[in-house]
Amino acid sequence: MADDESTAKKIFTDVRVIVMLALVIFSILSIYVLPPAFDKGVEGNIQLGLDLQGGSWVQLSFQSEVVRFSSPTMSADALAQKIWDKAGIEAVAVSDDKIEIRKLLTQEEVENLFNEIGDVKLVAYTQGVSKETADDVKRILEDKVNNLGTQDAKINTISGSNNVATYIRIELAGTDISTAQDLVSSQGKFEIRIVTEGNETAHVLYGDSVTSVSRPSQSPPGSGSWGVAFTLSEDGAKALRDACIQYGATKEPEKHYLNMYLDGEQVYDAPLSSDLATKLLTGTVNDLRASTGMGDDGLEKAQVLEIHLRAGALPVDVTTAGLGSVSAQMGDYFKFVCIIAALLALGAVGVTVYLRYHEPSIVLPMLLTNIAELIILLGFSRYVQQLDLASIAGLIAVIGTGIDQLIVVTDEVLHEGKVPSPNVYLKRFKRALVIITVAAATVIFAMVPLILMDLSTLKGFAIITILGVLVGVIVTRPAYGKIIMAILSKKPAKEISSDSKDE
Amino acid sequence: MGKFTYDINRYDPRHMVALPLALFIVSVIFLGFNTVTTGLPVEAGIDFSGGIAVTVFTDDSAADLEQYFKDYPLKSVGESINNGYYLVFDNIPDENRFQEMTKHVYAKYPDAGIDLIGETFGKTLQTQAFWAVLMAFILMAVVVFVAFRNFIASLTIVAAGVFDISITATIMDVIGFTLSLGTTAALLMLIGYSVDSNILLTTRLFKRQGKIDEKFANAFHTGFIMTTTTLVAVAVMFVVTFVGQIVIIRDISAVLLIGLVIDLMTTWMFNAGILKMYFAKKENPRQGGKQGGKNGRR
Repeated sequence: MADDESTAKKIFTDVRVIVMLALVIFSILSIYVLPPAFDKGVEGNIQLGLDLQGGSWVQLSFQSEVVRFSSPTMSADALAQKIWDKAGIEAVAVSDDKIEIRKLLTQEEVENLFNEIGDVKLVAYTQGVSKETADDVKRILEDKVNNLGTQDAKINTISGSNNVATYIRIELAGTDISTAQDLVSSQGKFEIRIVTEGNETAHVLYGDSVTSVSRPSQSPPGSGSWGVAFTLSEDGAKALRDACIQYGATKEPEKHYLNMYLDGEQVYDAPLSSDLATKLLTGTVNDLRASTGMGDDGLEKAQVLEIHLRAGALPVDVTTAGLGSVSAQMGDYFKFVCIIAALLALGAVGVTVYLRYHEPSIVLPMLLTNIAELIILLGFSRYVQQLDLASIAGLIAVIGTGIDQLIVVTDEVLHEGKVPSPNVYLKRFKRALVIITVAAATVIFAMVPLILMDLSTLKGFAIITILGVLVGVIVTRPAYGKIIMAILSKKPAKEISSDSKDE
Repeated sequence: MGKFTYDINRYDPRHMVALPLALFIVSVIFLGFNTVTTGLPVEAGIDFSGGIAVTVFTDDSAADLEQYFKDYPLKSVGESINNGYYLVFDNIPDENRFQEMTKHVYAKYPDAGIDLIGETFGKTLQTQAFWAVLMAFILMAVVVFVAFRNFIASLTIVAAGVFDISITATIMDVIGFTLSLGTTAALLMLIGYSVDSNILLTTRLFKRQGKIDEKFANAFHTGFIMTTTTLVAVAVMFVVTFVGQIVIIRDISAVLLIGLVIDLMTTWMFNAGILKMYFAKKENPRQGGKQGGKNGRR
């Protein structure tokens, strides 16, 4: 008895063991208590991927390219204008020497276009859109998702090198693929009406008359006064002029506000500026600007207005690069299968290890350490990574290498089947740790490219694997070394025998 | 595992090396031939080549499903014993047509899972996966060389990784597994496992004192139990996910299963053989590698 107590004391006073236990407790708390999640089922606060909770994802690729150019005379804005004049393709300046061409052209086609324009050379070509446009698209999609009433949506742009976004990925929990697809392609009904008398309004034009919408800008530049510029088609411009003259807005702009509606809901209203009112008297005006006010508030309103003006249409064409969906039932079922697989795998590992060592005092700590590793990993993952099927595969891989390395530690220490003196033990334990650390370093380095490449679901797999290896090397395996030493040192030497001598 | 009869010290190292080396050469030729003829070393699944996959659980027969989807480019019907089906279709470039298809699927199988990977996206993933595997290898090799600072030791470890991956990829392709994100991950994971067992062997041989034969026997003993434990876990995972029709984990575990068996061979036949020759030469330069093989046990 006294012996057992001192062994327990040795184990539970060791720093490494304490750290491990503390982390296990922290992880369990993280999963179930911080914040309380008793009603959320087995997974607690762990974020599950779509394939485990049901939902769908759509990955869109931008039909556009960002082009770096060099020209002795032309600015980016001038070049964008030239492209519009020459080919009728919308282009916007991204920086001094970069433009975004909003139609998918091959590198060769861009070169040909540049040759036609003359005085400009193509320097670099990347398919995708600038970060600003990508954020724009993201905002538009977020706005639509909010209208859908789905709480759990993630929208991420996927950027390659040099800040060009090639893809945007939308993940919608609890939504089937048809809804997700509709969301991307759907457009609202945009309308501009003019106030005629009191609360009465009359129709002016619909969204199809709005031919292009710019990003929020300040006018004059740097003034802090925000707004959104947009252009009308000829018909739209004529309709606007006719309406303004008919109802007297050109004479008394203050009395005849222009109201904008999206799907019947008013989203913006403002009077004509006196400048515009005068212009309308003499002819049609295509280029309009709706101002939204000063400072951050003005910018925010402008961003919303831009989305409304587009009526949910994206500034750039997109095509579906990939999509997937899992129904909630199937997600539940996958979850169940994963848990069964994990339990059975742990059990099978236990049996195998027992057959090898025939010694519960080695096998139990080994399995418990392995389980501790799993719990800590799950606890950490709650903060960094949602668990999808691929990351569960990573979890299982980590458990596999984990048990491998505990075997290395055990055998290293148990060399020759004798229990070593503390000095020899430490030396051997150190050597075991060297093996483990080198192995861990290689695994980590092997996984880093997967994270950098942002390879779809494999990113989660790599993150979990690296996290698991780190937890193992830094926390659980050293702790296991201490535990096994304390347990072994109380045993008489001959009781611990490894099979190697039975051959 | 005392009954296991492979005695690492009994065999001539050249014989030990021969089989893995031969398999490796065959696999390189196989993969090379594939690359030349199809552009890819192994057949790509929908993740990399593009396509549509539909997962359904139903009492209907495979023939029923084929009939139901006869208007769509159905390529293959995978069946599990749990009434689960994994249908693979060619890509449908027309997005409206595809939306029709999703409605068609949901009309009869509301709980189905649908995945689509466009061809260009598949290409992007392919390129990225290629670079990821290449970078992983280079980084791993650097770590190993830095850690061991011994050419032979490092070379055998890196070689084992290369052998494992190429032989496993070949077997995978021959028995009809396609390359997907999951199987790519599994192949990368193999690097981890192979490095584990090989570093064990090398460290034991280079850094422990004692008779070389004994060190071999002990290292084998630990390494064998290590790999079998993992094998058992992976086998369980394979069976459960095969029955449960979780395709991605099923494929990962299948590849790991093959890979771990191959790893046993490359580590304990090829690498052990090479290292044996190396140590025999070091201990007795004149007789070279012949000595190592004829050593009796202990």
